[in-house]
Amino acid sequence: MVNITRRSLLQASGLAAVGLASPLSAPAFLRNAQAQSGPVKLGCLFSSSGTMANLEGRLNYVVKMAADEINAKGGVNGRTIDVLVSDPASDWPLYAQSAKQMLQQEKVSALFGCWTSVSRKTVLPVVEQENGLLYYPLHFEGDENSKNVVYVNSPPASSVLPAVDYLMGEEGVSAKRFFMLGSDYVWPRTINKQLKGYFKSKGIKESAWKEEYVPFGFTNFQTLVNQIRAFADEGGGQPVVILTVVGNSIPDFMREFANQGILATDIPVLGLDMVEADLEGLDTAKLVGHLNCWAYLQNAKGPANEAFLKNWAAYVKAKNVPFSGTVSIDPMVSAYDSVHLWAMAAAKAGSFDVPEVSKAFAGLTFDCPSGYKISMTGENNYVARGVFIGSVNDKQGFDILWQSKDTPKPVPFSPYG
Amino acid sequence: MNLTRLTVVVAGLLAALLAAPTARAQGLDRAGLIANLCGNAGAMGEAAAVLTGLAMSGDAADRAFAVPLARAVIDRKLACDDAGAVLTESGLDAVTRAPRAAAGEPRTPVLSLKNRATYEQVDAALALRAAPEAAQRAAALKTLERRPALIPEGLLDAAAASEPDAGLKADIETLAQTAALTAADPAARIRALARIADNPSRRALTQVSALTADPAYAASPEFRAAVDEATARIGRGIAVGDVLATAYNGLSFASILFMAAIGLAIIFGLMGVINLAQGELIMIGAYVTWLVQQGLRVVAPSLLDWYLVLAIPIAFVVTAAIGIALEASLLRHLYKRPLMSLLATWAVSLFLMNLVRVVFGTQNLQFETPFYVTGGVPVIGDFIFTWNRMFAIAFAVVTLALTWGLVRRTPFGLNIRAVTQNRDMAACIGIPTRRVDMMAFGLGSGLAGLAGLALSPIYSVNPQMGQNFIIDAFMVVVLGGVGTIAGTVVAALGIGQINVLIEPLWGAVAAKVIVLLMIIAFLQWRPEGLFAVKGRRK
Repeated sequence: MVNITRRSLLQASGLAAVGLASPLSAPAFLRNAQAQSGPVKLGCLFSSSGTMANLEGRLNYVVKMAADEINAKGGVNGRTIDVLVSDPASDWPLYAQSAKQMLQQEKVSALFGCWTSVSRKTVLPVVEQENGLLYYPLHFEGDENSKNVVYVNSPPASSVLPAVDYLMGEEGVSAKRFFMLGSDYVWPRTINKQLKGYFKSKGIKESAWKEEYVPFGFTNFQTLVNQIRAFADEGGGQPVVILTVVGNSIPDFMREFANQGILATDIPVLGLDMVEADLEGLDTAKLVGHLNCWAYLQNAKGPANEAFLKNWAAYVKAKNVPFSGTVSIDPMVSAYDSVHLWAMAAAKAGSFDVPEVSKAFAGLTFDCPSGYKISMTGENNYVARGVFIGSVNDKQGFDILWQSKDTPKPVPFSPYG
Repeated sequence: MNLTRLTVVVAGLLAALLAAPTARAQGLDRAGLIANLCGNAGAMGEAAAVLTGLAMSGDAADRAFAVPLARAVIDRKLACDDAGAVLTESGLDAVTRAPRAAAGEPRTPVLSLKNRATYEQVDAALALRAAPEAAQRAAALKTLERRPALIPEGLLDAAAASEPDAGLKADIETLAQTAALTAADPAARIRALARIADNPSRRALTQVSALTADPAYAASPEFRAAVDEATARIGRGIAVGDVLATAYNGLSFASILFMAAIGLAIIFGLMGVINLAQGELIMIGAYVTWLVQQGLRVVAPSLLDWYLVLAIPIAFVVTAAIGIALEASLLRHLYKRPLMSLLATWAVSLFLMNLVRVVFGTQNLQFETPFYVTGGVPVIGDFIFTWNRMFAIAFAVVTLALTWGLVRRTPFGLNIRAVTQNRDMAACIGIPTRRVDMMAFGLGSGLAGLAGLALSPIYSVNPQMGQNFIIDAFMVVVLGGVGTIAGTVVAALGIGQINVLIEPLWGAVAAKVIVLLMIIAFLQWRPEGLFAVKGRRK
């Protein structure tokens, strides 16, 4: 008993010493490791290396930008914000480790992080145990409601289902058959489970859909696109592809899809994780018309978006950020909203303690760059967001095809699966 | 592009000539049409119906007026403002065709998916009737052919009647016969069946087999025979197409595996060095290709389409040089410690990846897609021959031939083989084994660079891309038998083909697992791989 305690104590202090002494040492990625009593600390859990780097990496900078904005106005509760960045390297267990380090050693007041649901699931027990607060900026599969996580983006009921409704409707393509293709992990599997439940509730027969999964990082989509064509040619109504592959599988799938001569008017693809950044490096002239659905699109109208785009471009230029200043994607805006929502809650609570901040969530509103006034209620930690359906244009971006009138109330638990 | 502009100008001139309101004989409400084009999805649907009507009948002036409209909407080149709309490409008002600029903040309507299909069809229908160039009309016919069911009835007959080009006229009539499957005349339907069966596909099969429920199928024996005959022919075509498609997919995957593995086979076979940086050398090959493309853009834009060919020597030389430098500075000192060399190459792999990340960023690189790696041609059944895959296959075949020639037919190759078989004896008879090592490492690295080039039209190019290949490459090398080119080829073909066969049955995840299990089982039985090098290896 004594031995164990001593050993774990030694380990912990050793780790802490390594972490504090050398910011460059292997697993301790914290760059800003000096303990200070002045500024309040926020932590980022976004990968700067590995498969998710191109997408997640930019979110670090957005969080910093939002913190700078708040600091310029005098900070929160009289203290400025200091943003700590880690690199979990697209390695899911490392997200939990980084989160633990941030919460235990750095005593960060809130974490902003994770892209894939699998990384959120690994961080979840850590934030619950440490009673931390994680702001999660991605739309996701729902079916989760932790008091320690703020779900800034939409659950399926207010993102995927409206898009599928659109496709099934008169204005869309009256879709009758669905090919669901996803990466093999929790988000695509849960989304597809809910979709199947939804289809059943609409009286669609089981023969009208097909489900396929590919491993993470899968790139060779030749056979699968053949399968999609065969599925489409069976007849029985307009087919659509509901794509839940992630990371670099998205551009490789779209490239093969276009190369086999399939246009959006033949078989539209609803790419649930597809953002502007995935179209970089693709010839989108042949992809025009494919769809995505998010709570923000770069082409959103309104002064809030204009200001956001201008600030981001200026920030990229001023800080020499290694990402495009002209591309803005939903998770960036959601991360930006997250920081402001946290600051507002902390200011309202007059404290940085997680329980106090959580109590202040009810009734918060924020003018999101999407043009909607997003809001939180005391019922759960979900944020009510607008819904956009985007259509790929030939300039590697998305045109807004449809957007919701207001912000639908988020439904955490799906009745369909 | 120029042709479109010409059409716009011609149409504009025609419209200007006939612009006086009294000249509108059919009473086409031009302003109303433009207002609908600027309206919501429903209004745009109505406008499409009006445009379709113009393609079918209506006078030539109205049709010429309509020609640029559908294309402008598709390309979002129609700027709607309070006073109507402007065709932004030509800078003309959509209604009067007088030059003017759009006022205020113009909107460009976005087509809904459903309307997009309709507008593409309408655009093609209008072009078929009114485009000045035969090539444009032929292209329009191709577009219409994609969806024969949506071709408005009578359009093809009208187009055939007014078509001056004899060849095109025959094509239009052929399509008209295909589209006559639902016609009233049984003879026309039987002709249509024969036409459809000429191009077998699953879609055609669905279309034809639905006819067994048609009253004529029970009533007319000729029709019944024609349907059965067409079904059988299409079925045969699909079967042939499926076999070809599977073989082609397997071959294309095999070519990728082979390209990734061949350099490794030489390095691993010769020196026993497990080069974990091989994937990063592939990545660097792709980046060099991109740099060549960017260089050509500045220096010789006319050659831009050929950057993939022009980059071949450069990608090879750059990666070979990196390989040689790596060997001379690092691995040379670690030959007696294989575990250390493994760790060292892993470090190099991380270093190269992060170096590229810092220099170029993490985003996917933007590659031009030259015409020879774009799209594909349908061959038979559902088999589509895609050019980017063909490029990789051809590239792999040429690489194989050259590598084989180099190893089997040159003194350098003789040295490599001698050192591979028995290093000490080779050294005894005066072969400079260290130099051979260095050159072979360079060769293996250069081949990795070529792999990067060949893969750039297929996969996204980013700093992480190399990691996708390293495991597959080792799988191929170990299965093939260390150090044999023939083994690498056979192993790549086998793994590629088995993957492609399993994928449609049990899915991509299972395919990966099953292939790995098969390789493990095979290596239990034959640890030296498919083709073992005879000799005293240590």
